Amino acid sequence: MTSIPTGDFSQVVTATRVHRSLYTDPDLFELEMTRIWGQAWIFIGHESQVPNTGDYFTTNINHNIPVVMVRDKSGSVQVLHNRCGHKGAKVVEARSGNARGAFRCSYHGWSYRHDGSLLKVPNEAGYEGTGFDSTNPCYSMQPLAQVESYRGFVFATLSPYAPDLQTWMGGARDCFDNLCDRAPEGEVEVAGGVLRYEHQCNWKFILENLNDTMHPMVVHESIVKAAESYLEALPEDAVEQRKEAEIIPPFGASYEKFEASGITGFPFGHHYDGGKTSIHADYSVDPDYHAAMVAAYGEERTREIYAFNTHNVLFYPSLTIKCAVQNIRVIRPISVDRFIVETWSFRLKGAPDSMLQRTLLYSRLINSAMGMVGPDDLEVYRRAQEGLASPSNEWVEFHRQYGKDEQREDRTVGGGTSDLDMRTQYQAWQAYMEGSIFNEVENA
Amino acid sequence: MNRERIEEFLYREADLLDRPDLDSWMNLFAESGTYWMPATEDQKDPINHISHVYDDRVMMEIRRRNFIHPRASSKEWEARCSHVIGNIRLLPEVGEDVITVTSNQHVVVWYRDEQRLYACRVTHRLQTDGEGFKILGKRVDLINPEAPQQSLIIYL
Repeated sequence: MTSIPTGDFSQVVTATRVHRSLYTDPDLFELEMTRIWGQAWIFIGHESQVPNTGDYFTTNINHNIPVVMVRDKSGSVQVLHNRCGHKGAKVVEARSGNARGAFRCSYHGWSYRHDGSLLKVPNEAGYEGTGFDSTNPCYSMQPLAQVESYRGFVFATLSPYAPDLQTWMGGARDCFDNLCDRAPEGEVEVAGGVLRYEHQCNWKFILENLNDTMHPMVVHESIVKAAESYLEALPEDAVEQRKEAEIIPPFGASYEKFEASGITGFPFGHHYDGGKTSIHADYSVDPDYHAAMVAAYGEERTREIYAFNTHNVLFYPSLTIKCAVQNIRVIRPISVDRFIVETWSFRLKGAPDSMLQRTLLYSRLINSAMGMVGPDDLEVYRRAQEGLASPSNEWVEFHRQYGKDEQREDRTVGGGTSDLDMRTQYQAWQAYMEGSIFNEVENA
Repeated sequence: MNRERIEEFLYREADLLDRPDLDSWMNLFAESGTYWMPATEDQKDPINHISHVYDDRVMMEIRRRNFIHPRASSKEWEARCSHVIGNIRLLPEVGEDVITVTSNQHVVVWYRDEQRLYACRVTHRLQTDGEGFKILGKRVDLINPEAPQQSLIIYL
């Protein structure tokens, strides 16, 4: 049992629809921040962002709780509440940097070791005989309830009741393996900076859109047509030089092609589309990269790694990754109708620079606020946000292929154009909101 | 020095974006010309670091076609701009025919019923051919490149 009160949310979520208030009600948003973002494992950052002792990276774990990821002197990566044990001031303000020796609060100069423990209180004599106990953890920068990493990806949760990270990831964990295995050295590192993109709509729209394969041929028709019509006019050898020619047109893939990619859902709201194939499956393979892969893994294993080809993978609710592209998007809600998406790109260790360059080209073309794809996605989310103010229909539906979802051992599988991804995430939404989400683990 | 002609060229380029007239604007660029908006301060490189945009003539043409495509929903909203250019400075010439000029630009963008203000330092590398100028590179450094950006469907 968690300490969060239970409630009945079947009035707003059913097997095939959700109530429009999920997108518009500020009170419901506040509850989501406590019950979903306050319980789930939330992606914080990657270990490669803090390579040396004292290196730190700051973020919020939900819409407003500040945390800092830091490497301590033992080499472990900690995630601490970014709050001074004294008056509560945020201790670390910069987005990233190195705190040599200790963190120091700008207000009264209390200082903290990299593991968050209190190092020094200035002029401490004044506390003598007052009952103040400097060893009480409440006066430290406290660690999050649980912190774990998987292949360098650091997650934290505010809940002491969440199952361990790998149990929570379930079968979707394969996607982290695939992303890292695509590096000849088996590891990835953050490279090439970040894009931050403000979205003026509810945070759930982007999660719903990731594996909504009924939208690309509609929303992205214009850019696909624009790219194809111009590229057709260019000489063939000129087109072969253009990586854009591989990246943009697949967004216009047919219903049949998306149907064939399939969708796979997991407990706790995670899902991906693709697996055997995806819109990233036909990218050309750089010969130098291929040679490095074969040298590292052998021909057969290399083919196996390439063959697992997913489009978008969602670790509900905070992270989506693209294994075949090597970028990730990190979601952070701000209010009921506003959130930020950060796009981070990864270098495959041991791969030629051309691989990172393609990743960055993809992030720039697709995920930038000046991109060819992202602004059209955001436009339709905003129209949904505005349209849902209408009381004409209280519900948003997701019936596609309902009843055909096939339950296998640890996962649910269905057609690539089904709404299985919606059903998967709203089952988790309901269980988080009702406080029963982690009971499933005990019962499993 | 033909400072007046350079200023006039910058004003004309900005005016074409203000309208916007992307057809004419693109033709101000040399065949190898690029438009670059870095995503971080003092960015060295458009290839090995992410940028908000880095277009050559091919991508400009694709963007232009998308801009006027009837099914581009984010482009159903009109985008209008107003550039104000100041602090124009000519950098020492590097080659006979190449001029580098920097300016501060404040751009007001009206899009989706909202007015927004962008402030940037713009660097033009211009090729002179006796008759006029062609843009070899236009670099737009926002004062807040790392801040969360809103959708921007038009070049600044």
